[in-house]
Formats: sequence, C-alpha cells, structure tokens
Amino acid sequence: MLNQSRQSHDLDQRSSACPEGSQSGAAGGTELPPQVLLAAPPSSPAPPLPPGGGGRGGGGQKRRRESQRAMKTFLGFFAALPAAALAAVIAALLVKAWPAILYNGTGFFTQRQWQPGGQYSQPVVTNGISHPLGASYGALPLIVGTVESSALALVMAVPIAIGTALVVVHKLPPRLSTATGLLLEILAGVPSVVIGLWGTIALGPFIARRIAPLIAHNVPDIAALHFLRGPVGYGQGLLTSAVVLAVMILPIIAATTRDLLRQVPTDATDGAAALGMTDAEILSAVTLPWVRAGMIGASVLGLGRALGETMAVAMVSGAVLGAMPSSIYQAMTTIAATIVSQLDSAFTDATGFAVRTLAEASLVLVLITLSVNVAARLLVRRVASTALPVGRGI
Amino acid sequence: MPNRPPASAIGRKRGNQHFRLASFTLLAGAAVSLAACNSSTPSTSTTKAPAASSSAAASLSSLEAAPTATIPVSETGSSLLYPLFQKWAPSYTQLHSNITITPASTGSGTGISQASKGAVDIGASDAYLSPAQVQATPGLMNIPLAISAQMINYNLPGFSGTLKLNGKLLAAIYEGKITNWNDPKIAALNPGAKLPNQKIVALHRSDGSGDTFLFTQYLSKQDPNGWGKTVQYGTTVAFPAISNSLAENGNGGMVQGCSATPGCIAYIGVSYQSQTQADHLGQATLENGSGNYVALSPASIAAEASSFASSTPASGAISLIDGTNAAQGYPIINYEYAIVLAQQPSATKAQAIRAALAWAMDPKGGSASSFLNAVNFQPLPPSALAVSEKLLSKIQ
Repeated sequence: MLNQSRQSHDLDQRSSACPEGSQSGAAGGTELPPQVLLAAPPSSPAPPLPPGGGGRGGGGQKRRRESQRAMKTFLGFFAALPAAALAAVIAALLVKAWPAILYNGTGFFTQRQWQPGGQYSQPVVTNGISHPLGASYGALPLIVGTVESSALALVMAVPIAIGTALVVVHKLPPRLSTATGLLLEILAGVPSVVIGLWGTIALGPFIARRIAPLIAHNVPDIAALHFLRGPVGYGQGLLTSAVVLAVMILPIIAATTRDLLRQVPTDATDGAAALGMTDAEILSAVTLPWVRAGMIGASVLGLGRALGETMAVAMVSGAVLGAMPSSIYQAMTTIAATIVSQLDSAFTDATGFAVRTLAEASLVLVLITLSVNVAARLLVRRVASTALPVGRGI
Repeated sequence: MPNRPPASAIGRKRGNQHFRLASFTLLAGAAVSLAACNSSTPSTSTTKAPAASSSAAASLSSLEAAPTATIPVSETGSSLLYPLFQKWAPSYTQLHSNITITPASTGSGTGISQASKGAVDIGASDAYLSPAQVQATPGLMNIPLAISAQMINYNLPGFSGTLKLNGKLLAAIYEGKITNWNDPKIAALNPGAKLPNQKIVALHRSDGSGDTFLFTQYLSKQDPNGWGKTVQYGTTVAFPAISNSLAENGNGGMVQGCSATPGCIAYIGVSYQSQTQADHLGQATLENGSGNYVALSPASIAAEASSFASSTPASGAISLIDGTNAAQGYPIINYEYAIVLAQQPSATKAQAIRAALAWAMDPKGGSASSFLNAVNFQPLPPSALAVSEKLLSKIQ
C-alpha cells in the first residue's frame, strides 16, 4: 500500500511538473477519444492571454498565473490516475507473485506441466518459500495457447473485416450501409459469455461434425500443413477458440476500418479513377495504403482483446492444462482461461502458492499484451506518420 | 475448540458408546448392509422423543432446534452434492419459513475456499480438508452429511455390455498408455466382450473438484507405484497431457461432454446417475480393495461405508476409497462434507446452520430415503452420525 501511494505521488509530481504532460492529461481525464486529440493540429496555440493583460496591475497577473498553475496540478492529477492505477495493479501482482517467480524460475516459461503438488501432504519450504510437496508449474502451454489462438483469430478476422468495411463504405446504398454498421456495433456489444455459450453448444459441435473433417481430409499431406490434419477433435479446442475470438474482434476491426475508409479523400480516388484505374487498382494503390497504419492499429486493438479474452475461451478451448495442441482441432487452454478456471481451487492451497503462481501467470499476460501494443505503435510509426485511430465498441 | 459441550452432551457421549458397540457387533458379524443397520436402531424413536435408547437421535433433535429470526443460509461447492441441496433447500424452508437456503454448484474447490474465507455459510465438498488447510484456517471443519459414490461412465456406441475396469487400467488410460477401447489389456479383463475399435477420450474436470479427488485417490491406491507416485491425488491434479483428453466443468459438464463424445470415459458423481442413464452411458464395474469386481448399488455402497464407519476419526476426515474390509463393497465412495467455520458471526447464524445441517443428516429428516434415493446417496452409518453431531455442536 505504502509503495503504491508513493508511486502515484511520484507520477503525480512528474506530470504536473511537465506542461506537455498536463496537456495530454486532459485527454486521459475527460476521456476524449485519442483520435480526436491526435487529429488536432500538432502546434496548438498557446493559451490565449487577453491582449494588454500585462499592462494592468501585477496582482491580476499573479492571480491568473496561480489559477493556471492550479489548473495544471488539477489536470496533472487526473492524467496520473490511469498510470497510477496500472502501476498499482502491477505492483500488487508483483508483490504477490514474487515468491512464485523465484521458485518457478525460468522453468515457468519452458516446462509443460502444471502440477499444483500434493495438497494432502505436509507443505514444504524451499528457500523460505512455502509450497505443497511436488509443486511444479510450467506455463509454456498457456503462453503458446494464448498467442496461437489470438494470432489465428486475427488471421481470420482481418480479411473479413476489411471486406466488410469496403462493402459497407463503397458498395452498399446508404441506408443498408447504416444498418450493417449498426449490426456490427451490436455484435461488438454482445457479452463474451454469450458468445462462449454459443461456441459451446452450437459452433463447437458444428465445427467438429462439418468444418473440421472438411479441412482435415482435404489439406495436402505436407509437413508444413500437418497442423490442419489429423483427428478432428470434439469441437472444443484451438480452432473453435480462434473462431469465437474472431467473431469477437471482427466488429472492432471492421468498424474502425470503415471509419478509416470514410476518411480517404475523394480527390485521390477520383484522380485515380480519372487516370483509368480499375476498382481493384484504386483499392491497392490508393485506398489501402492510405488506411494501412490505422488498420494495424485496429488489428492490434483486436489482438489485445483476443489475448485477454477469458470467459468465452474458457468455455470452448477444452481448458486442458498442459496441452500443447499439435493440430488446430485439439484441446488447449490460455493464460486467462486458466486463471479463471483455477482460481478457486488455488485458494484451497493452504500455502497460498497456487494463487501466487496465478499472479505470476497474470503478469505474463500483462507483459504479452503490453509488448504487443508497443510493437504495434512502433510499427504504426514506421508505416505512416498519421495518427493511430482508435475505434469504438470495446 | 475452546467451546465446551453443553451438559447434556454427557448423556450423548454414553449413547455414542452404545452406538459404537452396536455397530461394532454388527460389523463383526459380517458386512451388513446399511438398511439392516438402520433397522437395528429402535424404530419407535422419533426425532422429537428424547428416548434414552436413541440419544443420537435425541441430540440431533436438540441440534435441529431452529432460530426464529429470518436467516438466509448460503451454500456453494460440490456439484455432486448440489442436486441433494437443491432438494433439501425448499423442503427445509417449508419446515422453517424463516430460513432460506440458497445452493450453488461450483465445485468442491470453490466450496472449500469460499467457506474458509467466510464468503458462504456452508461449503459443500466431496473431499475432506487437508491438514494444511485446517492449519491455515483454524476452526474450519468438514462435517460428514451423507455417503456418496462415483461412477465410471463410458460412451461406446454399439457396445451395450458392462465393462470391468480397475485402477491400474484407468491410470493407463488417463496416462495415454491405453488409447483404444479394443486394447488387449481391456479385452483381457473383459473376456467375451465385443470391444469396438474406438479411440478413448479421457474426460477430466477443469474446476477444482471433489470428484477429481475421489477418482485420483482410487487410481493412487490401486496403482501406488505409478499414478500414486507421479500424479498423486487432489481436487486439482496435473492430468498427464495426452492428445485425446477433454476437460469439463462440473458433473453436469462431464455428462454432457461424455454424451457428445463417442469413445469417452468419465468419472461422474452418483447423483447424476439418472442423467447418465437417460443418455445411455455405460457404467463400469470396478475392482475393489479385496480384488472383487463390484457394481455400484445401494447395497455395495452401504457395505463399503459400514466397513469404514467405526474408524471415522473425530475430525471426520477419512478416505473411504478402496477399502479392504468389505468383500462386496464398491471401491469409490466418500463422505459428502459440509465445510463450515466453527466460529460464526452471530449466534443466530450458528444456530441456523446447526439446525439445517442436523436436519439434513437426520434419517427422519433430510437423510430420509425420499431425499437420498433421488441422488443414490446413503445415509450416514450411526457411528459416523455421532461424529458429525459432535462437529455440529462446535458451530457457535
């Protein structure tokens, strides 16, 4: 607690000391969409001082300066809050997870077995860390499962999202376009547990009976494609998880892409058309390059959601701890799904070590999500200097 | 516990000794079914009559005295016990309109953890508390309520017979060493059975589960040098990662998953027997501690239970798995436990919990055959009931 408050105080001071910080702080505090802010001209005018203000009494100027400073502190405080919240969460998790990080070591990232140890034998103390006898945690399958399912979901969702957005913006009559957009937004708002239930009782069996056999029996028998072959499974596994995730992130990516496409200036596309380019040529030469940076941003938003999605994946992944699927039809699990399905039994570990390990797993998840975001921002900066558009509907 | 038993407990104690003696002589005679055990208690004793000859019932009736204040009692945990709590709750509220019991099916792991934190009044568990848990939460008790059992079910289209299985074979299946139903090892145990050429899909629970505890304990006891050394037992264990396995949530999930998956094998609580039968799942005959293959039946559960009843310790924590003293006992049975903190926030709450649980284990109340038959449970043998009463009286 002490650490956290000190940390937030530090952040508070830092940002209030920095004028730029307090400017962007307004965005964090009042929840303006970053799009709006970033789209604003880079050189915003300095706060307007009334003309001739300096000529009047020094007391008035002093008061103004004080109120300016008060405002900066005020905004700085709100700017620091989100950062402080993140720091507090990570600090709390780190404190909880620290013994687990020490005990599990690097094996946490390389080993496959999730062994809580004998709950009914006397707890053991290793290097001052109390844990059940034989406890040995390897999170490799969880990490791999998290990344695999999200990546697969992205591969499915992005092309469909682009297609949907293109059709909505360029091909559909205005009324139909609005209706489709509305449907996308509704899809984005469906709670994940509902989609998870649909995945369990409808999609999973359908995939196992119709889709999976179709793919597995028709894919050419070459080593690179073996992950598409083999037993078709039972409707709970990597493929079902990825499809469910794709359904969830599709509206996010599609809605953002749609908004981006609407911002493509007609001058450029009209000019291209005047040069005799076909629709396809305009798309590949003008439209897509224009929105590429934004598309990457939108995809990362979707990826972030997919990485952390919990309930739906817990319901359709098979939730098999320690499973490393060799084909997309096999059962697996993710970090988030493991945390939710194992938390209660972790609390029955009297040494508390199981909960510490879950805290460590959640830190890994935060780390993955953060690094994906950072990588995306770097990528966006390299691809274009335009602002990162952030869509609605999360 | 610092709480001294009330003065009336002295009489009860003497009564318990009578019961110990009675059950001991019964056991000495032969493995006697529980029905016989029950009929040996004086049938004239009602829960209200303080007859000297039935002091166990008498003290139950004193524990059953319910408070008059309006009290909600929350329960969560074992999905095996859940169907019974669902039957108990409305019936008890009918008797005592001021007490409402809200049951939830979340798994034994949740039952234990929520009860130890005081988040629910009663946690339900098929597994007893570990010594470490009791040490971590002083005053946390496991109180036997009834006897349950576990089925080993399978979904084998085209095979309608009853399979014989044992712990070593099951361990080999869950370790991925036996992957097909027509494996010679299964065939050797089941001569004459036309086993189909079908991949085995091993189902296990994804939530912290008392059923996992019972199942893995059976495997550990029957395969002490294999499963007992590598995987061991617990409400959550590291099931070997094999390609043909699925994890399901709750007993309901196991039934649904097994019905939907040809070739599956699953361990399912006996309270779900009507569902497994409706879904035409097979039910295996298991090898018990005496080396006999015994089918699950009220008599075989009772036989196994009575072979353990007199050795139940005061804490109530004992494994009833794979006993060696009942030739015709079914090997996977257990006490269903209520996990309760001895120290309750208020005397009224304590009284309500005591009263509801005492009624639940009363053969004339919640443990009447009209309740237990619906879930295929058996009532506590008298000596186990005496242990539970002592534990109940500690709830203050």
